[in-house]
Amino acid sequence: MLGLALALLRVSKHRVMRWPAAIYTELFKNVPLLAIIFVTYFGLASVGLRLGVFEAGSLSLVVFYAAYLSEIFRSAISGVHAGQQEASEALGLGRVSTFTHVIFPQALRSALPGTNTMFVDLLKSTSLLVTISAAELMSQGRLITSATFRALEVYLVIAAIYFVLCYPLSQGLLWLERRIRAGVPLTPGRRRRLRAAKALLKGAVA
Amino acid sequence: MSETAAVDATVSTPATQDAVVRIENLSKSFDGRMVLDNVGLTVDHRKILAIIGQSGGGKTTLLRCVNLLERPDNASMEVMGETVFAGDRLVCGDLAKLRRSVGMVFQRFNLFPHLTAVENVMLAQLRAGIAEKEALERAVQLLCRVGLAHRGVAYPEQLSGGEQQRVAIARALALRPSVLLFDEPTSSLDPESTGEVLRVMRELADDGMTMILVTHELPFARDVADTVVFVDGGRIVEQGTPAEVLGNPREPRTKAFLASSTASH
Ligand SMILES: Nc1ncnc2c1ncn2[C@@H]1O[C@H](COP(=O)(O)OP(=O)(O)O)[C@@H](O)[C@H]1O
Ligand SMILES: [Mg+2]
Repeated sequence: MLGLALALLRVSKHRVMRWPAAIYTELFKNVPLLAIIFVTYFGLASVGLRLGVFEAGSLSLVVFYAAYLSEIFRSAISGVHAGQQEASEALGLGRVSTFTHVIFPQALRSALPGTNTMFVDLLKSTSLLVTISAAELMSQGRLITSATFRALEVYLVIAAIYFVLCYPLSQGLLWLERRIRAGVPLTPGRRRRLRAAKALLKGAVA
Repeated sequence: MSETAAVDATVSTPATQDAVVRIENLSKSFDGRMVLDNVGLTVDHRKILAIIGQSGGGKTTLLRCVNLLERPDNASMEVMGETVFAGDRLVCGDLAKLRRSVGMVFQRFNLFPHLTAVENVMLAQLRAGIAEKEALERAVQLLCRVGLAHRGVAYPEQLSGGEQQRVAIARALALRPSVLLFDEPTSSLDPESTGEVLRVMRELADDGMTMILVTHELPFARDVADTVVFVDGGRIVEQGTPAEVLGNPREPRTKAFLASSTASH
């Protein structure tokens, strides 16, 4: 969501809106996630803003990945052919309708592969939160290893758990990508519309 | 459905005034370079105006000014008797309404690739507040009219160029515009597709659709147009009936253009 908002700001006509978003993106894109996690958890705490592990972790992941996602969305939006905007405007669609019905659906299609990678990456990055969290998966592993001295097995199990979480997510997103590319209507409303259209068209051809 | 019903639905109600589009003193420059220099034209109800001329002469820009996709530097413009532009000011209160009464067909079709043919024809209707059922019926009727009812649920990329352009024509007709603008609608098509599209356009002409048509198909322009305008270097060099401009041009530049374009065909 934040990524999309940033992308919208960055394709804006007004420099005042583009600049802060561009600065934000460049900043967070070029700082390691680990540093962001430390700043939000330890850094903010030192100036009196104590966040819980979960809050600090989520905040770090959101600000970091929003920067990357905004890049993906921005290039997807500006990748939609200018003729699309024109055709839409020539049909009397306003700016909002043009974006929601013409530009965005096309941008979404080209942004999906990159978004897919980002989401899986995000999920995997939760493992970095080990540095600030005692309850997180990796550190549970450390507790167990120190109790049992079976490091390899324990960390393999943790890796397996990440895989089990990430694989379905990435496969699910790939499936969505394929469905969209094949032109399968995804919303019930659109399915209904196309069904009605088929019936009426068949009658018209006969 | 009967043939006449389809025909009636396509043609807009007669205007009380004669001129559907009236443009005077239109000037437009890009980056300080004059692209249209004091151009004027009038298209009456049920009439067809053809614009011809060399590439780069300003034909597309002129056409795009009519529905204000391009904003003139200076002009006085009326569409359906309503002043939409005066001096250097846009006075059109409702740009969407203007655009709904002016349909446009592009050289490169510009269909929405994420929507099927029938949805392409429906979108503007739905956005204009027309009920789903009515929008669908009209879309199907228009697809029949351009001979593509059997391709209604195909996506643009599954259609040939000629089919795409016919869907684009149906889409432009969906909101019952008072005038249709065509910008070289057959320039990116092979001869067979060109034939299909010109056939549809001729039918529209026969039904009394008001049109402004930029084209290199001079025989077609001669057949259907009421007025031919030759544009060169951002000015209207010559204008008159097809017989006058195409058959017996007065201006040397028109003669040169016609000689070169008949030679290349
Ligand atoms: N958006 C634009 N920005 C700058 N120059 C433009 C733009 N659109 C058109 N032009 C220039 O205006 C002139 C007329 O172009 P155009 O109206 O497309 O001519 P035609 O359709 O007759 O080929 C050309 O020199 C073209 O380069
Ligand atoms: Mg042109």
